[in-house]
Amino acid sequence: MNSIIVLILGALGLGVGYFWYARRIDQDIVKPDPQKATPARMYMDGVDFTPTSRNVLFGYQFKSIAALGPITGPIIAVQWGWLPALAWVILGTFFIGWVQDYGAMIMGVRREGDTMGALSYKLISPRARNILMIFLYFYLLLIMGAFGNAVGKVLMTNPKVPFGMLTVVLMGILAGQMIYRWKQDVIITTIITVVLTFVGIWISTLPFMSNIFSGLYGLPESPPWFLGNTQAQVLGTLLVIIFCYLGSVLPIWSFAQPVNYVSFWIVSLGVLGGIIGLLIWRPGMGDFPAFTQFTTASGPLWPMLFITIACGAVSGWHSLVSTSGTARQLEKETDALPVGGGAMFMEMVFAVIAFLTATVAFGSFQGYQDAGGAAKALAVFSGGLANFLNYVGIPREFGVAYGSVFLTIMALTIMQLCVRFMRVASAELVGEALPVMKNVHVGTTVALILTLIFVWVIPWLTIWSAFGASNQLMAGLALLLISLWLRAEGRKNEWALYPSIFMIVTTIAALLYLAYNNFFKALPAADTAQKSIAALLVGVIAMVLVVAAVILIADGWKALQKPQEKKAAETA
Amino acid sequence: MTEEEKQNVLTRIGQSAKEFLYGMAGHDMTRFALKTRGSMEHLFILITMGDLLGIPILPPYYSLRLLPYVVPQISTWKRRMLRERDLTDALA
Repeated sequence: MNSIIVLILGALGLGVGYFWYARRIDQDIVKPDPQKATPARMYMDGVDFTPTSRNVLFGYQFKSIAALGPITGPIIAVQWGWLPALAWVILGTFFIGWVQDYGAMIMGVRREGDTMGALSYKLISPRARNILMIFLYFYLLLIMGAFGNAVGKVLMTNPKVPFGMLTVVLMGILAGQMIYRWKQDVIITTIITVVLTFVGIWISTLPFMSNIFSGLYGLPESPPWFLGNTQAQVLGTLLVIIFCYLGSVLPIWSFAQPVNYVSFWIVSLGVLGGIIGLLIWRPGMGDFPAFTQFTTASGPLWPMLFITIACGAVSGWHSLVSTSGTARQLEKETDALPVGGGAMFMEMVFAVIAFLTATVAFGSFQGYQDAGGAAKALAVFSGGLANFLNYVGIPREFGVAYGSVFLTIMALTIMQLCVRFMRVASAELVGEALPVMKNVHVGTTVALILTLIFVWVIPWLTIWSAFGASNQLMAGLALLLISLWLRAEGRKNEWALYPSIFMIVTTIAALLYLAYNNFFKALPAADTAQKSIAALLVGVIAMVLVVAAVILIADGWKALQKPQEKKAAETA
Repeated sequence: MTEEEKQNVLTRIGQSAKEFLYGMAGHDMTRFALKTRGSMEHLFILITMGDLLGIPILPPYYSLRLLPYVVPQISTWKRRMLRERDLTDALA
């Protein structure tokens, strides 16, 4: 199949999904009222609650939800063949993805700007909030483990990448100083820092620079205390950990925000160049099979495919962003669909482009496997993007380094936010019993040590599956909350309830599969302490997530029955 | 469509694209800058207008002299101070 046909299919999914299905639900069931005061207008405080233009919020929401998920998921999932992966990206967004993002946003607006914790407390039960917090901590830890693994153990091990990544960080710090300290013009600051970043990425590809990192990375053989990792992987992950530590403890204006700002331009220009290159090239899939086999290295197609592709089809992360950030800034209720639904459909297009880097950029299935396959999904993306960029005149070697830096900073942007949240969450959850956890450095260090254990010990595909399952379970729980809210408002809720049931059943099945696989297959077969710890860790976390989800679902089910009981009592 | 209408449509598209780009690139930074300013204002108003909450930190004479400058902030300050917070607020 030609890449243009795939793009047309994606556009059709977007057109029909957004302009027909989503609009019908919005207008016939939710019925937003543009005159009704939103929390942004009612509680305007100039900080969290501020009415903002829907175009600005659309960009803000899209940037907040698009990280490594929509890129990595489809590239891993094509191991089942291109058809199941593409079908889940388009149909998942059509029936579930936008429902969750839009539903969480409009629920936040109608519930006076409440976020997920408060919503679960009020709509499900008081204990639901505490369970959600524990669930979130593990969920964020899995995000850290999965993203840290992808960046530290794959991308950073290429000696042509680390200097480029360090340049982004330095240019981010420079941008922060120029804007906030030296009061320089934003446009001039942007031009200087972005141009210098590109120069840094180019320098990182030069032999003298890559030789320096090759020397630092040493030999492929590793001493036993590296837990089976190479010296390059250990140094790569340590660089990631240092970055996250600085992102968590330094003032946001001086590090995290300006680095994100410079990164935005690097990523956007890469995506734009990639799309132009793809449109010029218009390659086909060659012999890439539509379907390979039901069971692959990641497990059986159901349930594992549905948790492997997370953000490109549906993701629990989006409900957190929609309620905590965007819902409090909506100027009108009618903006919820273009902002929440629109950003999700746009992310679907992003996932389709990532899908194409795996299926068409290497000309064949063998080419995809030679580039790294599912085991090195990010290397596949950077290689594929480099092939697309080649058609706009960018040398392939620079393209690979650029693609790797691009992915690294996308992951790190989310990781530093996660560490900050984990630090706050640990202070809140155990701060009273262990006051030392309220210390910024202690909370951050604990979160990062846990991350390091996850990254060094757990294999890539296993941790990605565990992260995907927790992410999709979060989506299922968010959809359950949306169904409860719709029920409480006396509106039809099938459009959210059925996707919720599908997501919860699928993800619990995936977590049980992971637990079974780790306890009964990986653990008995483990020949090193590292493999045993990895199997135990994943198995235990999968079971903790299942138990937390079952309690939330049981409480949610009771809450779902309440309006019916009330109605029956009133009728009697 | 008249020339003027065409011009209006183009202006609107340009404005939307500009806002979208700002939303992706700079809105987050603006929000964090506002949050930082909000936190500093909290402290300042608490010190100068502590009387409003029954915490007399500054002698009322100085509070009264500062009052005209603080009045525009009081309503939003009260909203921020009195709002029930949740841990998940920290995610954005």
